[in-house]
Formats: sequence, C-alpha cells, structure tokens
Amino acid sequence: MMPNLMMLIIVLPLLSALLTHLLQCPLGRCVARISVAATLLSVLLASALLWLSLTGPEVADPSVSIGWMTLYYDPLSILMALVIGVISLIVHIYSLRYMAEEAGYARFFMLLDLMTASLFLLVSAGDLITLIISWHLVGVFLYFLLGQDTRSPSAYRYAFWTMITYRIGDLPLVLAAILLFQAYDTWSLPVIFEQITLNPTAHSVFGMPLPEVIGILLALAAFARSAQFLLHTWLPYTMDGPTPVSALMHAGIVNAGGFLINRFAPVFVNTSDVLQWVFIVGLISAVVGSILMLTQNDIKKSLGYSTMGQMGFMVMECGIGAFSLAIYHLIAHGVFKGTLFLSAGSVINKSRKDDGVPKDALYTFVVERQPARTRKPWFLMAAITLLIPLAILIPSHWFVSEDYFQKQGAIILLFFGWVTGAQLIFSTYRMQTQNLWRLVAISILSFAVVIIGYIFVSHAFDVYLYPDAAFREQMYAAASIGKIRFDIIVAIVTLIIVSGWLLTYYSERNGKRTRYAGRVWLMFYALISREFYMTDLYTRLTRTILSVASKLNVWLRWN
Amino acid sequence: MTDLHLLAAALFLPLFPLSMLFNAFFNRVQHAVLRGAILIVWPHIGLAIIHASASTVPEWMTTLALVTALLYALRMLALRGVGQWTGFLATSMWAVLWLAASDVSQSMHHLYALGLSIPLVLLVSLSAGLEKRFGAAYTGLYEGLALSIPRFSGVLVVVVLAAIATPIFPAFFIMLSLILATGGLMPFAAVSLLITWLLWSWAGVRLLQGLIVGNKSEEDIADLSLLAAWAYAIILIALILSSMFVIGSMS
Repeated sequence: MMPNLMMLIIVLPLLSALLTHLLQCPLGRCVARISVAATLLSVLLASALLWLSLTGPEVADPSVSIGWMTLYYDPLSILMALVIGVISLIVHIYSLRYMAEEAGYARFFMLLDLMTASLFLLVSAGDLITLIISWHLVGVFLYFLLGQDTRSPSAYRYAFWTMITYRIGDLPLVLAAILLFQAYDTWSLPVIFEQITLNPTAHSVFGMPLPEVIGILLALAAFARSAQFLLHTWLPYTMDGPTPVSALMHAGIVNAGGFLINRFAPVFVNTSDVLQWVFIVGLISAVVGSILMLTQNDIKKSLGYSTMGQMGFMVMECGIGAFSLAIYHLIAHGVFKGTLFLSAGSVINKSRKDDGVPKDALYTFVVERQPARTRKPWFLMAAITLLIPLAILIPSHWFVSEDYFQKQGAIILLFFGWVTGAQLIFSTYRMQTQNLWRLVAISILSFAVVIIGYIFVSHAFDVYLYPDAAFREQMYAAASIGKIRFDIIVAIVTLIIVSGWLLTYYSERNGKRTRYAGRVWLMFYALISREFYMTDLYTRLTRTILSVASKLNVWLRWN
Repeated sequence: MTDLHLLAAALFLPLFPLSMLFNAFFNRVQHAVLRGAILIVWPHIGLAIIHASASTVPEWMTTLALVTALLYALRMLALRGVGQWTGFLATSMWAVLWLAASDVSQSMHHLYALGLSIPLVLLVSLSAGLEKRFGAAYTGLYEGLALSIPRFSGVLVVVVLAAIATPIFPAFFIMLSLILATGGLMPFAAVSLLITWLLWSWAGVRLLQGLIVGNKSEEDIADLSLLAAWAYAIILIALILSSMFVIGSMS
C-alpha cells in the first residue's frame, strides 16, 4: 500500500497540471480548483503515509521501482512529502484570489502543480537519475514561476539569476552521481549507501577517499540551492515574482540543500573534514544574512536575507552532525517564513495608512533606542543573564539524552542556545518598564518554553528519521574535531561574544563614538549597504563573459 | 583513421575551424525545410565516416571536440538571430558526439545524433514561423510574444528547453551518458561538458527572454494554429518517450 500511495502523491499533481492546461478554455478560472483539489488529495495521501510509517512495522526495503526510476518512502521522504504538500496547498489556496487579476492564471496553476510534482519526486527519489532530473526541473519551473508576469523584464532578470545559480549547483550533483555510478555500478541510492557503509574507503578519486569527494560535491550543490554565502545573491532579488511563489520558494524550495545533506547522510558520516567546512560556510551565511537583513528598508528583501541567515543556521546544524535538527529547522522556518511572505502584502498596505506600532516601552527601546535610565545592579543582571539560560538548557538536554554532553555538536548547539538566551535577557533589562522583574520572568519563561519545545520535538525527529542510535553517534562523530582545537575555538568565540556585549554596554554608557570609530562604522555601513559588492561583482563578471562572446563572434565573422 | 577521413568527419561533425564552414553554409541556406534536412542528415554523414574506419579517434581530436563545444556554447550567448543560434547549438552539440565514438555502438551513436537534432529541426521550423510573422527571427527586435502569440510562445519555450538538454528530453540523457563515458578516464572532459551544458542553458534563457518577455504588441498577430500546436506536442511527447528508451538501455 505504501508504494502505491507514494506513486499517487507524485502522479496527482502531474495529472492536475495536464487537466489544468487542457480544460482552461471550457472551465475558465474555475480550472484552478482542480489544482487545489489534487494538492489537497496529495496532502491527505502524504498524511496517510506518515500515519502508516509511524504505526506500521518497519519496512526493510522502503523503495519501489517503476522501470528505471526508483521511489523511496523512508521516514525522510514521507515527512518531506507532507511538508511540501502542506506548503503547496497553502500557496495554492492563497493564489486562487491573489492571482485572479493576473494574466496567465491557468498557466500559473499548471506550473505550480509541476513544481509540486518535481518537489515530491525530489524528496522521494531512490536513484541518482531521478534525483538529478527532479533537482534540475525544480530550477526550471521556478524560473518560469518567478517570471509569471511576462511583461516584467526585471522579474525575468532576477529569475535568470536564480536559474543560473541553480544550474551551477546542478553541476557538482551530476559529477557526484557520475562518480558514484562509476564506483558502485548502480544508480540506486539504497545500494550505494549500503556499499559505502560496508567499506567507505573502497574507492578513491585523485587520492582522496570517495565519500570525501562526494561530500564536497554534494555540499556545493546544497550551498547553491540554499543560498549560502557566495551563491546567495539570487535569493533577495527574486521579489519581483508573485508573492505566492516567494512564499513557496522561501518556505520550501530553498530548503532543498538541507534535505540533500540529510538524504546523503550515509555518505557524510564517512567523511572526515567535509562537515566542518559545511559548518563554517553555514556560519558565515548566517552572520552575513542576518547583518544584511538588518540593513534593508524593503520588507521583502529583508525577509529574503532573513531566509539566507536561516538557511545558514540549517546548514550549520548539518555541519555539527545534527541532521534531523536541520530538518526540524527547515520545517519550522518554512511555516513561519511562508506566513510572513503571504501576509507581507497586507502588512504593507495597512502600514501605508497606519503603521499600527503602539508607542509603548518596546517601541521606545527598539525603534527610538532609548534604554532605561535607572538600572539594577549590573553584577546581579549579568549573573541572571549568563546563568539562567544554562539552568534551562542543561537539564532539558540531559532529560532527552544522558550522553548528550559527550557530543561536540551538542555542545555547540548548547552554546548557541546559551548565547541566544543571554542576549534575550541582556536586551530586556535595559528596557523602560514599570516592573522589570516581571519582564525578565516573562522572557525567561518564553525562552524556557521555546527551548524545551525545541529539544523535545527535535529529539522526536531524531528518533523518527534516524532510528539507529549507532548511526546518530556516527553523525556527531563525523562532525567532531580534535578536543584541544574544539576547546580553543569555543574559548575564542566566547571571548568575541562577551567582548561584543561589553562593547555594547560601554558604548551605551559613554554615549558618542570617537571620530575614528564613526568612520569605521560608516565604512562598514557602506559595505553592507552595497551587500558586500557581491551583486556588482557578479554583474561585472557576467558582462565580461558576454563581451568576450561578442568579441569572439566578431573575430570569427559570426561563423 | 586516415587524415582524409578525419578531415571529412571533422566537417560533418563540425570541429573548429571547419565548423566555420558548416555555419557559413547553414546561414546561407534560408529555406526552413532545407535547414531541417541539413540538421538531420549532416551529423549522420560524420558518424558514418567515423564508424567506417575501425581505428579509434585520436586524443587530440577529442580535446578539439571539447574546445569546439565550449567555444560555440560561449559564442551563443551573444547571438540574436534564432537561425544562427540553432546552427551554433548544432555545432556545439554535434562536437560532443566525438566523445562517444569509442564507447557506444554505431546505431546508438546515430540515435544520439537524432535525439540532439530533432529539437533543432523544430526550432528551425519555429524560426521560420517568426520570419513569416515579423519578417525576421531576432531576439529583442519584437517583444512580448507570450502575450501576443501565447500558443506559439508556449511551444517555443518547450522546444528551446528540449534543445538545451533539459530533463526529460533526449539531449539530457545523452549528455548524462557522455559525461558518464568521460568521467572516469578524463575528469576534465566531464567538467568541460558540464560547463558547456551550463552555457547552453544560459544561452537558451537569453534567447527566450529576448522573445517572450515584454508588453503585448499592438498589432494583431496570428498565433500558431491548434493543429500545429498538437503536432509539435506529439513530436515532443515522442521525444520524451524515446529518451525513456535511451535511459533504459543506459542503466
């Protein structure tokens, strides 16, 4: 039954796309309802599949072959299919009215169905060819969805940026697939994973173990798809596309990088250095994305950079071996970012009449940047700031897994949790409020609820997606580095963060900046307002390539 | 393989600089049916010459084939004429067929050539359609075809996608099998093929953007007839089915 359900989930949107195209003339705009109904049905089937997977016995070989194509229905595929289905359904329903005035209404729903089918195929691909096909097709359909308004050259310009970045990301994936096929003489993912697990060092490329090379190539493909630093410029600029497409892209498509790393987890656990590099790239993307998000004055572009930052966090989680946490993160991010995008339009419209921001203590503190005049003793507040997050984090982690603190990746997560919690409390005690202790207590309570919820849900994901405890250990082990190196890095990062807090505290106490500091600040602002000159660099590069092509044509007399 | 054989094969599976002769000839031929016939027949002559000789293709010719494919893919980026664009894409695609000379059977090799050429023939036919409607088939000359002639634009988009080796058209599987054939022995050849493929996509997107994007024309322009659209659809579906067949034999 499960294989049939998986096939139906993919076939339904394909069928819907065909019917939407063929029946657009007789049915007019009502044709979109076929598309919505098919997506709803896919969601119901995906829910049934998840139910069967949770309650039924474990399937030894969760794959089904249709000719040369293999579909996989392991926990990762099933969970991702449900996520994609739900996001796609929301986008479909939202688009019914949102796109009603636009030209090419039926074409939009047809493309939306094709995109949904490609995404279903991507997450359920059980062989390398199906994976490459769906990976490639997602980029193609996204290009046409972003260019839905065929009158807008700018929409197509930025859709092209997306398409070309995705195509660049396709290349390492194809190379990885070819290398895997040459080594194991099969396209089947389960067979390849089995062979790699049995003997990871059986094959090498240019003297490097095959899993290491494959890991690098797959990470590159994931970086392009998830807008990681240097391959991120397309993401914030695709706002000329329809809002539902932005929602689908930010809530679903951009997460494909995290999915890819999870899908190839058996390869990544056999690498030695790849995950550390994944972590570093994720960290840089998270920092750059967050900085650029804060400097935007366009809400949609700001959301775009926020997605880049979140994708950075997701990739970082993979980099520390917390693969299932990355899946939880991408789902959670998908839900809130989809909501933000779909409501962005109405927020903009409303704020044109009234910004709706109450002029309360929070407004005074965040917008007008006026901290409280009277403060509590700094030592007491510093102690609360630093100790309470730890008091919440350590027992809750210990509760789900006693050996949690033996894993480096877990320590890093804990560290980030601690920094976030401390930052939250650090911010609140400077706010103007009548009852500071009440505010601090509410902040701590919110933090505790978020952390405990996050830990328990991520633990459930861990057990569902990777039921083998030994494999989970392997994932953390693959992401680990030498103990001394790790301790030094943690010490340096702690020093940087605490220095940052002290600097903020000092600058707020002493008021004005020096002239030198002001100049440095201005230079930094110029740099981030130009988005680190990345877009300028790529535009220059593109123009150079086109100019070379043109000159070659002239020299060779256009023959 | 004698030098004469090599020379003849390099003309019919065009390699630089002989590819310039092919493109000059292709540009001179204006009739769509003749152009289509050339696109179908030309590479098969080259393949027949290669397979008539029992000896293997020299390595330097494989390198030249890669350079030719890359060169024409790059040059396509700066083209505006649809006809010339088709000729350059044909040159770039046929050049990569040299890489499979020793790896696939003669019949499969001919099938590869056919799989690459059929979308190009469709493109030539659409280019003739543009010339008939507008007097010329150039990007940027007229715009907004998606709104003016939506059916024609839809077919054009799918045909261009088929031509630039998008899944699940034959050219995609052919490229995959060629990369597979070269990946183990010549990793740099595989990378060159991938870059060539990327450039095709880039050029294809530029071509489409120059034609379909923009405001609707004020003049009334006749769209593609429903019958013609169905004819194109049937050929494209046949192409997809045939690619399933190619992949079936590959895996």
